[in-house]
Amino acid sequence: MRIACPHCGSRDVQEFAYLGDAAPRRPDGMEATAAAMVDYVHQRDNPAGSHRELWYHAAGCHAWLVVTRDTRTHAIDAVETMAQARAGASA
Amino acid sequence: MSASTQPFRRGDGGLIDRSRPLSFRFDGQGYQGFEGDTLASALLANGVRLVGRSFKYHRPRGILSAGPEEPNALVELRAGARREPNTRATVVELFHGLEARSQNRWPSLAFDLLSVNSLLGPALQAGFYYKTFMWPASFWERLYEPLIRRAAGLGRAAGLEDPDHYEKAFAFCDVLIIGGGPAGIAAALVAGRSGARVILCDEDSRLGGRLLAERREIDGQPAADWLKEALAELASLPDVTIMPRSTVFGVYDHGVYGVVERVTDHLAVPPPHQARQRSWRITARRAVLAAGAIERPIVFSGNDTPGVMLAGAVRTYLNRYGVLPGREAVVFTTGDEGWTTARDLFTAGGRVAAIVDPRTALDPELTALAARIGARVFAGSVVCRASGSRALTAVDIRDASGREQTIACDLLAVSNGWNPTLHLTSHQNTRPVWDEAIQAFVPGTMPVGLSVAGSAAGRFSLAEALADGARLGREAAADSGFDSAAEPATPITDPEGVALSPVWRVKGGKGKAFVDFQNDVTDADIELAAREGFRPVEHLKRFTTLGMATDQGKTSNIAGLAIMAEQTGKTIPQTGTTIFRPPYTPVAIGALAGHHRGRDFRPTRLSPTHSWSQNQGAVFIEAGAWMRAQYYPRPGETDWLTSVNREVLAVRNEVGICDVSTLGKIDIQGADAVDFLERVYCNGFRALPVGKARYGLMLREDGFVMDDGTTSRLAQTHFLMTTTTANAGKVMQHLEFCHQVLWPELNVRLVSVSEQWAQAAIAGPKARAVLQGVVDAEHDICNKAFPYLAARAVTVGGGIPARLFRISFSGELAYELAVPAGYGVAMMEALMAAGAAHGITPYGTEALGVMRIEKGHVAGNELSGQTTARDLGLGKMMSSKKDYLGRLMAQRPALVEADRPRLVGFKPVDPTQRLRAGAHFIGIGKAATMHHDEGYMTSVAYSPVLGHWIGLGLLRNGRERLGERVRAVDPVRNGDVEIEICSPVFVDPEGTRLHG
Amino acid sequence: MAEIGMAWTARGAWTGIAAAGAFGTPHDGVRVQLREGLGIASLIAGQEQEPALERALDSRYGLSLPRGPSAVSSASHTLLWSGPGQWLLLAASSAGFAEDCAGLAGLAAVAEQSDGRAVLSLSGAMVRQTLAKGCMVDLHPRAFPVGTTALTSIAYVNIQLWRAEDGPEGAVYEIMVPRSMAGSFWSWFSASAAEFGCAITVSRD
Repeated sequence: MRIACPHCGSRDVQEFAYLGDAAPRRPDGMEATAAAMVDYVHQRDNPAGSHRELWYHAAGCHAWLVVTRDTRTHAIDAVETMAQARAGASA
Repeated sequence: MSASTQPFRRGDGGLIDRSRPLSFRFDGQGYQGFEGDTLASALLANGVRLVGRSFKYHRPRGILSAGPEEPNALVELRAGARREPNTRATVVELFHGLEARSQNRWPSLAFDLLSVNSLLGPALQAGFYYKTFMWPASFWERLYEPLIRRAAGLGRAAGLEDPDHYEKAFAFCDVLIIGGGPAGIAAALVAGRSGARVILCDEDSRLGGRLLAERREIDGQPAADWLKEALAELASLPDVTIMPRSTVFGVYDHGVYGVVERVTDHLAVPPPHQARQRSWRITARRAVLAAGAIERPIVFSGNDTPGVMLAGAVRTYLNRYGVLPGREAVVFTTGDEGWTTARDLFTAGGRVAAIVDPRTALDPELTALAARIGARVFAGSVVCRASGSRALTAVDIRDASGREQTIACDLLAVSNGWNPTLHLTSHQNTRPVWDEAIQAFVPGTMPVGLSVAGSAAGRFSLAEALADGARLGREAAADSGFDSAAEPATPITDPEGVALSPVWRVKGGKGKAFVDFQNDVTDADIELAAREGFRPVEHLKRFTTLGMATDQGKTSNIAGLAIMAEQTGKTIPQTGTTIFRPPYTPVAIGALAGHHRGRDFRPTRLSPTHSWSQNQGAVFIEAGAWMRAQYYPRPGETDWLTSVNREVLAVRNEVGICDVSTLGKIDIQGADAVDFLERVYCNGFRALPVGKARYGLMLREDGFVMDDGTTSRLAQTHFLMTTTTANAGKVMQHLEFCHQVLWPELNVRLVSVSEQWAQAAIAGPKARAVLQGVVDAEHDICNKAFPYLAARAVTVGGGIPARLFRISFSGELAYELAVPAGYGVAMMEALMAAGAAHGITPYGTEALGVMRIEKGHVAGNELSGQTTARDLGLGKMMSSKKDYLGRLMAQRPALVEADRPRLVGFKPVDPTQRLRAGAHFIGIGKAATMHHDEGYMTSVAYSPVLGHWIGLGLLRNGRERLGERVRAVDPVRNGDVEIEICSPVFVDPEGTRLHG
Repeated sequence: MAEIGMAWTARGAWTGIAAAGAFGTPHDGVRVQLREGLGIASLIAGQEQEPALERALDSRYGLSLPRGPSAVSSASHTLLWSGPGQWLLLAASSAGFAEDCAGLAGLAAVAEQSDGRAVLSLSGAMVRQTLAKGCMVDLHPRAFPVGTTALTSIAYVNIQLWRAEDGPEGAVYEIMVPRSMAGSFWSWFSASAAEFGCAITVSRD
């Protein structure tokens, strides 16, 4: 696999570490509920198809990236920086 | 010259160099071949046709093919540590001094006692092992399996360390072309001329593919001339790379291709500093598969007799190697192409006794050819049996009426059409599809970026190969951004007959008819599979072993499917096909590992004080990637415990130094640095004053402990975090996650400074006295000026920047001193010099471990990912005033229940007893079962201070059970020791030494 | 306190690993210079700090801040992009480098790394063929021109690579390796360059 790091360019997958689903948002703060935290820590969709997921460019620029990958074919539609991903989410 | 020593070598012709004879040995017998030969062609030139015994029945086998698909002619190559089993004689390039041996025979190839297996045939049919050796289970391991392994099997591995060196390599191109036959070369020419970066790989030593084996014309000139010009032009293009002896074995995601280059396999021994093989990972924007095709055998009785050969292979031996594979030949062909074999045999001086073709209406041109070369034509007929004990002596021919006659011959050339070499097209999990017109599977959905040309696409004529190659080479270059000026003219080729009516099997012969030569699978085995219900292709494969082992069914899969189809009344495509997976041909593990084996399996990290520890005589131990000094034996000390006890007592009584450079060190700066630490640690850092250090505990979001370490406040907005050695990288990644993903709004900057600093622990009652001899005098480090947990920049050696931390893992008065890594050795030497008068002693990780266990400090064994702060007795550290990672999840009922295993100390009731880490706690008088398991011992040490073994462990509700007795049961080492539960702090529980 | 008469001499990152000389076949297909004594510091700027940092670097060294994977050099200093918002400042000499760092302290998070990295400079006719045995980045001149940098790994060692101005034998690649892994990196490098022959020189300061 190759991942096109927005900072470094196209790189071998060996340079990256996988984390998982990019969707969950941490319920920050003292007012966060246990139920929301359980969801955040454990509940994940497992789609057969397009999946937005977090990858870390461990052997490169150390950026966390949001990779949109088709779980059936490994085709990668987009690789975003966290800033781009946040801008996209808020737009 | 050659005639006497190589009786089957033609006087001229072929691409071998008759001026360069090469000596070689097969089964101990000396022979001669020529440069340009393969082992197979050289053996045939010498009249050697029996080259191995088969896998299961030990039947005599010869050479079937002239390429990588060879299922029979597997030999052991070379000797000693370089001995390599299962090499295919058809692709082994001959070199001077080559040594090869046949496999699977005992005591000799010609006389094999185990060929009685052949007589036991019915007992050894498909499924036999499963059915016979099922019970009792213990017999399988002790009796059946070793027996079967001796009787059946392929060659023997050397069993010695491989003396050669291997490499990995990476390459990038616009267009990768797989296969250097006419299609591949045509593609490379067009793509190369466009300016694109082109890599052309071919598994052969010589480019040209079938052009090397056939007598063809291109543009009115011999194909060899066209080939020579094309290769010269490719060599002149600066961005075209030709890689011969390089097999593309796998297609991976996003245009990544696995390639193995046999750099020096064609030499007896690699020249100095040259790799034996090199595995490439090639990243290509586009690729063209021009891998050609593999010829198909026909299943009939005795079709494995040495001397039965694929017709295309016969032409290869005749035309490329100048070898007559037999003097008296019969050609059995189901299409026009086989007839060219008869022509070429005749031209080369062989006699063609008969041409057998099942078709009844034959092209008059073919019959005219037969008349010209004096061959009898058997139209509407088949070969139903080949016979001969160790080599072919005759074939039985049966006509449409069932009448049989026997014809003497020493070679049977079988032509039954070709299967596209489409293996790579299905590596991305897509299936080939059936093409009724050519009676073959052709590529289905293609991997992204890959196109397929010529024979590999089922377009078998030379004209199609050249046209496809040019068209797809042009397209691939254009897709990569390189447009070609003009459509190239397609070369004109001489006419060729392509009519074909394949026959999969001829029934009714006496004796075994083989579908899969390598696995000894017969047509009867497939019929048995059908009768017993193993009909889906995946079941068929596992029941019969069809298509397994080194050739992966390259010559057998289709006939197997055809026979199953016939048994079940289905068509071949209804019966199924196989998805091929990498590798296309076997790849040595050594090539995949490259440089990374033995000591270089992974990088080793050395501390900046490593050479000093070496000079002190340290014994080193691997700790993750690091080599750390474990202990420093002195003359006369014969066991490690003696050395470790001395080191521990030296620290407890005087002073010791230990390298701790391997700890992770993370520089954290920014206006929000303290807020960041508040969120990643469970305990508070806001109140930490500048110039002080604090122990911090980091939880995972699921509430379990992740790591610990001390963090120092160097300035208001500048912290230095330390992590455990093992988790340094993981913690850095975690902090980057927190910073970039969770809280990008925090103004904080992180950078690892682990490599910049050499760090030493100086511990023991005299630690301060030693340091006062090392730290520059202007820095006051007396107890008052530099109290417990002080952390400040100092200088050493007259102005060298350093950092001093008063922290202690041993429980003694202790410091850690950090200097720039280049001064690491100087620091250790300065400390030793300053400590000489105080009896300073270097100590290693073993003594470090003993002292932390004596103090009940947790380390890697306790930070197992399954323990909470409460489990470890650190529950009070968890702040209730702030949010931090793991806060909520640590409150889950299962993580706070009283019954959880909690950290406590243990000592043997009988102080002479030894404790063992990993032992499980079982109540006294109870059976040692899972049901009675109450936890386990995480760490043990012999405490020289206390004079007995001590342990830390996680015991159910341990904190409430101090003074109680249990057993430490260690069934693996037959241990069963009665132990008393105690506080995990064994030494100086009040902590007075720390503050001294 | 006590004068113990110890000389605090710094040990180079390549000491005990590689020294001036040659290895492999006698062809000198690859030339390596071990670069000891460089000043190296990581600079991390917040977005609001970047303009001020840029001005300071420009006025001090005449270097502009690369916003992508590039390296810019003056006679005395090199500025390497080393990740988003991060740079490495390299000084040809470590003398005076502490002052360099102190001067930038308010404009970025500065951390000295001079002792934490081992640097070598590679050139020669076969340098690309050597690097291809471990480098997963395309070094073809069209893909990796002068002034390009890459953070990547070679032989499982995380490295930073950049292409300096061409030398007499063409392309020159600089590689920066974590000090603790210099030995393992050298083991890979020497195995990879041996078939081409390699000449080693040492530069200090």
